[in-house]
Amino acid sequence: MGEGRPSRVTVSVVCIAALVVLTSVATPFASARPAHEIPFSEVQGSGLASPTADGWDGVPSSDVALGSAPSSVPNADDTTVETVHVQAARSDERLFVRLQWHDATRDVGADSMRRFNDAVAVQFPVNTSARPPIAMGGQRNMVNVWYWSSDTGTQELLAGGPGSTTAFPDPAVSANATYHGSGANATWTVVYVRDLEAAGENRTTLETEGDLDVAFAVWNGSNAERAGQKSVSEWHYFPSESRSAGPPFEALLWSVAGVAVVAVVAVTAFGVARARGGMQ
Amino acid sequence: MSTDQQDDSDTQIDVAEGIDHQVAMVMDLNKCIGCQTCTIACKTLWTEDGGSEYMYWNNVETKPGAGYPRGWEDSGGGWQSGEHSERQPGEIPDQEDYGRAWEFNHSEIMYEGSDEPLRPREGAEWGPNWDEDEGAGEYPNSYYFYLPRICNHCTHPSCVEACPRSALYKREEDGIVLVDQERCRGYRYCVEGCPYKKVYYNTVSKKSEKCIFCYPRIEGEGPDGQTYAPACAEECPPQLRLVGFLDDEQGPIYKLVEEYEVALPLHPEFQTQPNVYYIPPFAPPQHTEDGETVDVDRIPRQYLEQLFGEGIDQALDTIERHRQRIERGGESELMEILQDKNPAKQYRLEVFDDG
Ligand code: SF4
Ligand code: SF4
Repeated sequence: MGEGRPSRVTVSVVCIAALVVLTSVATPFASARPAHEIPFSEVQGSGLASPTADGWDGVPSSDVALGSAPSSVPNADDTTVETVHVQAARSDERLFVRLQWHDATRDVGADSMRRFNDAVAVQFPVNTSARPPIAMGGQRNMVNVWYWSSDTGTQELLAGGPGSTTAFPDPAVSANATYHGSGANATWTVVYVRDLEAAGENRTTLETEGDLDVAFAVWNGSNAERAGQKSVSEWHYFPSESRSAGPPFEALLWSVAGVAVVAVVAVTAFGVARARGGMQ
Repeated sequence: MSTDQQDDSDTQIDVAEGIDHQVAMVMDLNKCIGCQTCTIACKTLWTEDGGSEYMYWNNVETKPGAGYPRGWEDSGGGWQSGEHSERQPGEIPDQEDYGRAWEFNHSEIMYEGSDEPLRPREGAEWGPNWDEDEGAGEYPNSYYFYLPRICNHCTHPSCVEACPRSALYKREEDGIVLVDQERCRGYRYCVEGCPYKKVYYNTVSKKSEKCIFCYPRIEGEGPDGQTYAPACAEECPPQLRLVGFLDDEQGPIYKLVEEYEVALPLHPEFQTQPNVYYIPPFAPPQHTEDGETVDVDRIPRQYLEQLFGEGIDQALDTIERHRQRIERGGESELMEILQDKNPAKQYRLEVFDDG
């Protein structure tokens, strides 16, 4: 079977090449960090409060998948936003969370009966030692929500289950927003800023020892999204320290390691094939 | 579908679960002159602030007509059946369907010496009672009547059910349906959910608002501590509204609704079980071109049935029977109730005060 051998070698080589490509390309995205981890940077000062601050360029980011929230309101599964782009950074004193999502229609100032606002929210457990039910927490396991809407601005909310949302009279969080671009690329950018030390009952302690659970929600006003008709994420978390800061570097390491492994496999496979060929 | 509470002649009052007593109102449509005094009484009392200009918690519309908000009868809401397990989807009316608060040329006329007629500046294309007195039918048999409407403080309020935050609730002591302004977050599911379109969204306060059955008045919170019926009732020149409790068996409301069954809910098929009831309108029979009376209903029975449900035939027959009794010199408690001018009997609001 003289013709069989060269073809086998070809297959092996192609496979190996594919593997090398796959490893080097896929690694930075897939394996740089555990699923559901949202990395954050340690930064100096407070230059990130503006949505367009240059400092954000150096902050790692995650694309968080969103789906319709399970809810009993009419049209609950009719939602439009599928991804929110999340970045987080921490200085000695503050936590900054920047959220970006595409929305072709800027819905601001619901001055008519039928208009609704664009809005976004970040949800944390009040008590960071346990993960509350994702849908607005539970009675004994409440959530602290940072809510921004294009119309009414920022609110800090407390909820212990769907329909129980209550606004704090004095929000500890503030938000800044911009909308830029047009058409399908039009993007909302909202930055939340909160002091790490913000005292008050039922307010999430951000200086926590362990990971900090976090979830996201987005409403598209022009689709009449409000209340439980919203795009939501699963629970994600900010790691207890910025251990995954600099994923590009880490990813590079992984890629190099991957290529090395593949190279070894390739060489071995090639050697085996040659040895077999030589024996026959 | 069956509405089994109604076809039993054994009277049985259906007060919502957990509600001690249910306030109710009966309006005799034969007495309404469409003067809008009730509308203005309510407006000046409750809805003059920013964002509520377009709101009429009490409105009076001409029937047949598109009503306020325009087309409300076809805007959905309410329940699919008398079991109240599934709601009917509804819509939020457009601002144009309510009409906008018009600006008038007052300053030109009063300060600038213009002799134009007084009129709205612009945008007057639709508004509450726009189709006043148009009605339907051809000369000499045209017809219309006035229909005053407030929130029905329903026994099964779909507005309450629609709110995912329980911001709307039915008061235990009297079944009045209120919006908790602290809890409301302006989602407007209640506006969609009410088939009578009697919850309104305030774009300034970003909350929903609705008729409160003048509860501070019925609680005696006025300056002299006295109890008053809602302003729309007390201010009505022909005094066509009776106010009291549905479950006050000595009261006129109970008698008209439960005993004689001549006071009917509006659009019972919405299944919210309204607690505002109407004595249906009578009109003289039709005439021929040369003025002869013919035995044909001027207001088509079918139309009245569309508005007030299947009870219409029986209600009209009962009233007719009692009228004839009076004409023959007899007596009728029903006719007495309908003609009573004693406010103490028209407004029975303190019967359940435990002191
Ligand atoms: S009339 Fe509408 S607003 Fe009033 S109680 Fe009934 S459903 Fe609610
Ligand atoms: S005040 Fe009385 S008569 Fe005048 S419109 Fe209102 S209900 Fe009708």
